[in-house]
Amino acid sequence: MPKVGITTTVPVEVIYAAGWVPVDLNNLFITDENPQSLVEEAELAGYPRNLCAWIKGIYSIALKNRDIRTIIAVTQGDCSNTHALMETLQLAGVEIVPFAFPYDRDSDLLRLQMEKMMSYFGVSWKQVGEAKERLDRVRSRVWELDRLTWAENRVGGWENHLYQVCCSDFNGDPERFAAEVDEILKERRSAPARKEELRLGYIGVPPIVGELYQYLEERGARVVYNEVQRQFTMPFETPDLVEQYRLYTYPYGIFFRLEDICREAARRRLDGIIHYAQSFCFRQIEDLIIRQKLGLPVLTLEGDKPSRLDARTRMRLDVFLDMLR
Amino acid sequence: MFLGIDLGSRSVKVVLMDGEGNLQRQKFDTMEFYRKYGEKEEDRLVIDVSVLAVPPAGAVTATGYGRQAVGVKGARAIPEVMAHVKGAVYLTGLKDFTLLDLGGQDSKVALVRGGRVVDFTANDKCAASTGRYLENMAAALNISLEELGSHRRDPAELTSTCAVFGESELIGKIVEGCSIPSLAAGVNYSIFKRILPMLNRLPSAVIVFTGGVAYNRSLREIIGEETGARLVVPEGPEYAGAVGCCVDAAGIL
Repeated sequence: MPKVGITTTVPVEVIYAAGWVPVDLNNLFITDENPQSLVEEAELAGYPRNLCAWIKGIYSIALKNRDIRTIIAVTQGDCSNTHALMETLQLAGVEIVPFAFPYDRDSDLLRLQMEKMMSYFGVSWKQVGEAKERLDRVRSRVWELDRLTWAENRVGGWENHLYQVCCSDFNGDPERFAAEVDEILKERRSAPARKEELRLGYIGVPPIVGELYQYLEERGARVVYNEVQRQFTMPFETPDLVEQYRLYTYPYGIFFRLEDICREAARRRLDGIIHYAQSFCFRQIEDLIIRQKLGLPVLTLEGDKPSRLDARTRMRLDVFLDMLR
Repeated sequence: MFLGIDLGSRSVKVVLMDGEGNLQRQKFDTMEFYRKYGEKEEDRLVIDVSVLAVPPAGAVTATGYGRQAVGVKGARAIPEVMAHVKGAVYLTGLKDFTLLDLGGQDSKVALVRGGRVVDFTANDKCAASTGRYLENMAAALNISLEELGSHRRDPAELTSTCAVFGESELIGKIVEGCSIPSLAAGVNYSIFKRILPMLNRLPSAVIVFTGGVAYNRSLREIIGEETGARLVVPEGPEYAGAVGCCVDAAGIL
C-alpha cells in the first residue's frame, strides 16, 4: 500500500478509502531517535534559524523517508511556511497535493476541497463514508480515554496527549491502534482514581517538548484537556463528513477555537491554562486575544527546538502552579 | 539564623538573616562561586555552604537560575519569582505592586496583589533587556556602567533585536558621529522599550524595581516618567531574591 505524508490533520477518511497509508510527518519527526539533528539538517540545507522547528523537522524527515513520494500539504488553516516547505520538497522530487481549509468555514468551499482530494485518490463519497464509520469506531475509544482523563481522573496528561495526537493518521493501521487503545483502557479503568491535584488545560499546537506533562505531574498538577490533540480525534456527533471538518476547530480562527476552549474549561473544571506557542509562529500573536477572552489564569510557554525542558521554563511552570494554589 | 542563596546567572547573592531581621549580605561572581564552592557529584554540581564564611544557619533556602541544576547541600529550593516577590514585599512593606526584576540574563515582571503573585511574565529567547546587555554595551562604548546609567537625553535610535548586533549598531553610530551620551541614552531607552510590553500587560500604580539593573539611574527615571507609576527601589535591589529566601524560611510572609 502506498504511503502519503500529511503535514497536519486532513480528511484522512479519503486516504483510507483509497487504500493508502497516511503518515503524519510531525509524528515521524518528533519520534525520530534524534529530532534535533533533523532540524539542523534543514538549517544546513538553507532553512533559516529563526523559523519553526516543526517545518524544518518535517522537511528533513520527508527527505529521509524515500518511500513517501506523495505529500498532502495544508496550504490554508495551518501555517504559511508550508508553502515554501512544499516547494523545497517539490524541488527534491516529492509530489505535492495541496489542501486548504477555508478560513470562514464555508461548507461549499470545504466540500470542493474534499472532492478534489477524492478525485486525486479516485474514491467516491460512499467509500469515504464507509471509511468514516471505520475510523469513528477507533476514535470512539480515544474519546473514552479522554473522558477517563477528565471525568474519572484515571489517565495522565501525557497519555491523553499521545493517543489523541495519533488520531491524525492512526499510526497507519487503525485496527492495530484501536487494539492498543483497548489495552490502555482496560488498564486504566481498573486503576485507582488520582488524588486531588491542580487541573490544567493545554491549548495550542502539540508541544515540541514532551517532558512537560511528566514535569507537571511530579508537581501535583495534571493536564486534563489537550485542546488541539483532542480536535484531532474529531469528537463531534455528526454523520456528515463535511460538517465534521467544519466543526474541527484547529484550522479556523481563534474565536471559533475559543468557543470550544471555554466550553471544555468549564466542563473539565480547569484551574488554569497553559498556552503553548511555537517560536516564530503567528499563533504567538493570538496570545493577546486568548488572555483577554479567557477568564482563567494563563501561562504562555514558548518552545523552539525539540529538547529537554529548559531551566527557565521549569521555573515559570513552578511559579504558575504556586500561583494557582 | 536563616541563610538565603540566589544563584544568579552573573552573580550569587548570599544573605544571612538573624532573629531580629538584621541582614548580612555577600555577593560572588557566579563562575568563581561554582569553582570555589562547587563539588561534582555524579552528574551535577553540589554546593557545600558550610564552607562559606558565615555563622551556621538554621535553614538554608536557595533560588535562582541555578537551583534546578545545582544542588545546595541541605537547602530547600523555592521558585525564583516567589523569592523575588517575597523579598520585595519584605523590603518595601508594600503589598500591591508590579515587580520589575532585571537581573543578569533575565527580565521578569510579576503582578503582586495582597503580597502574592497573581500573574507574571519573563523574557524569552533574548537577553537584550538585562544586565549582561548593559555590560556589553558599556564595554562597547568603553565607559563604566555608572556612566552609562547617567545619560537619558537625546537618545540615539537603536533598532537591533539581538544584543550582540546591538553592539555592531553602536559602532556604526559612532562612525556616523553620534555622541557617547546620546548612544548611552539610546541603550537605556532600548531596555525600556523591551520591558514596556511586559509592564503594560501587568500594570499597577506602583512599580518595585529589583535586580542589579535597578542601579541604572536613567532607566529608573525613564520608567517612572514614561509609565506614570511610582517607582520604588529597595536598598540592595539585587539581594531581593536572597532576602526572599530568608523571609520564606522564617515564615514571615
